[in-house]
Amino acid sequence: MPHLEIHNLTVSYDKDQPALAQFRLDVEPGELVSLLGPSGCGKTTTLRSVAGFIQPDAGRIVINGRDYTHLPPNQRDIGLVFQSYALFPHLTVFQNVAFGLRMRRVPKAEVNTRVANALKMVGLEAFANRRPAQLSGGQQQRVALARATVIEPQVLLLDEPLSNLDARLRVDMRQEIRRAQQQLGITTLYVTHDQVEAMSISDRVVVMNQGKIEQIGSPERIFAAPETVFVADFMGFDNRFNAAVESVQADKLTVNWGGAPTELRWHSRFGSPCPGAKAEVFFRADNASLSSSSDASGLAGQVILHTFHGNEVQYLVETQVGEFSIMQDSAGERFENGAAVTVQAQTQKWIAIVE
Amino acid sequence: MISRWMYISLVILYGFLLGPFVIIFMASFGANANLAFPPQGFTLDWFANVFETSQFVDSFWISLQLALLSTIVSLVMGIPVAYALTRFQFAASGLVETVFSAPILVPGLVIGFAMLNFFVLLGDMGVMTGLFIGHTAILFPYSVRVVSASLRNLDPYVEDAAVSLGANRLRGFLLVVLPNMQAGIAAAFVLGFITSFNNVPVSLFLSGPGVTTLPVSMLSYLEYYFDPTIAALSTLLVIFTVVLVQTAERVLGLSQFV
Repeated sequence: MPHLEIHNLTVSYDKDQPALAQFRLDVEPGELVSLLGPSGCGKTTTLRSVAGFIQPDAGRIVINGRDYTHLPPNQRDIGLVFQSYALFPHLTVFQNVAFGLRMRRVPKAEVNTRVANALKMVGLEAFANRRPAQLSGGQQQRVALARATVIEPQVLLLDEPLSNLDARLRVDMRQEIRRAQQQLGITTLYVTHDQVEAMSISDRVVVMNQGKIEQIGSPERIFAAPETVFVADFMGFDNRFNAAVESVQADKLTVNWGGAPTELRWHSRFGSPCPGAKAEVFFRADNASLSSSSDASGLAGQVILHTFHGNEVQYLVETQVGEFSIMQDSAGERFENGAAVTVQAQTQKWIAIVE
Repeated sequence: MISRWMYISLVILYGFLLGPFVIIFMASFGANANLAFPPQGFTLDWFANVFETSQFVDSFWISLQLALLSTIVSLVMGIPVAYALTRFQFAASGLVETVFSAPILVPGLVIGFAMLNFFVLLGDMGVMTGLFIGHTAILFPYSVRVVSASLRNLDPYVEDAAVSLGANRLRGFLLVVLPNMQAGIAAAFVLGFITSFNNVPVSLFLSGPGVTTLPVSMLSYLEYYFDPTIAALSTLLVIFTVVLVQTAERVLGLSQFV
């Protein structure tokens, strides 16, 4: 049985454009599911509805078999971690973490041991008597994590918890959050707009757009096989072009790629497409390679710009199909601006989406 | 060269700021019956005279009660307003803010005159009640503004955090928001107290027979006498104010806010 069930949740701030429309999601016990999408996609609305700060217009929220939809937020037993940390500035680290236990009238001795354990988990035992203002951003977010988990909540909700941290700290904190979540086995919803963060921390990812779910799947699946144009675009497929479908088999379809018929994986929301339908073809910068023009097979093009990235060089190549961004190993053959090249497609990683 | 000019301007600035106080301070010890500078002789008679003049002693107590009462009431009303203005966006919030700052923008004499007329129309409400309402009204915008400033520095999500941890809205406010408003409330208290205690224009209109605030009785005393009693009283008031602010700073932690 799922630990957290969200049934057909609908939230409208104004009538025309619902912030969240018929949102459905089941989260298994101990699972970490990310809600991924651009700002305004409804991910924070979902989170705040589960926390009880937003009363949905329709739908139900069920946790551990119990209907939470109309329960006030302070009776929900939910741990919340905010982007701004939201620590209590007038209390020490210890008092911050102890707050939820005090609200639950936990005996003092037990409070002491549980807070000490929580602080140990996040490596801040030595900071128990500091004020939040005396801690770094990363330390403050660790306190927030300890404060939200020490109450052993039914569900842990994290709202863009790493957005205020710098890039390196973000990676450390991400691992730390994941480790704590797995260690405690807490069912978790994680809101983020960063696709790398979502992929690296999640058991499953929910990609959202305009209040609706675009795709739910494992990070691997979302990364390799986007099902909609929005997901492909959001998951960082660098190149896209339009092509007409020539023929369709069960799991492959054929499009014309610079004069050559090319077989591609495909996905369509509305079943098998007809020949002649318009497909959007997506591929990443490392799903194609360049060779000097003497090589016959492939699409002819010309290098417009090259950018050195260390291990790789990124080429912007102009072809009759369009402009493509292509990554090459910097140790291999190098091309100058203006060089004539042949683009060789690794089409097994490409995907055609028909909408 | 710049530092020398800065030094000189600083001396001039402080001269104009502190000079009058120095003169008043010295004059309050002068033996001459007319306020004079430089003072001749030395006496504490004028200080004694302050405490022997019942007009001053009575109006001091009135001013003290008035300042305490109107400051506290303006805070009790101002804290919820400040909270609402900083935490909720509502259609008329801009208008509400403008209306609440009106008593700062309108000249004090106009407020005093308008209130006198208004209270006369309302009928006999007693001088003290009139003064109390008038002072509360002029302090109210200060309370709202200063308390709002301290609330704006507080992350609005701390309340949600408290609620998610099991506190209801009221407890969340009392345990998390209120303690973080402490410095702002203290600042508003000191500012309000001093504003009320020193107010002349509104008190001038609203004072009545037997009920006069200290600044107003000082003014009327000056109309008849020009002896150093006023200088002595002024010296006492400066000391009183400095002690009050210092105490508030120590007790309430004002310095962390200002």
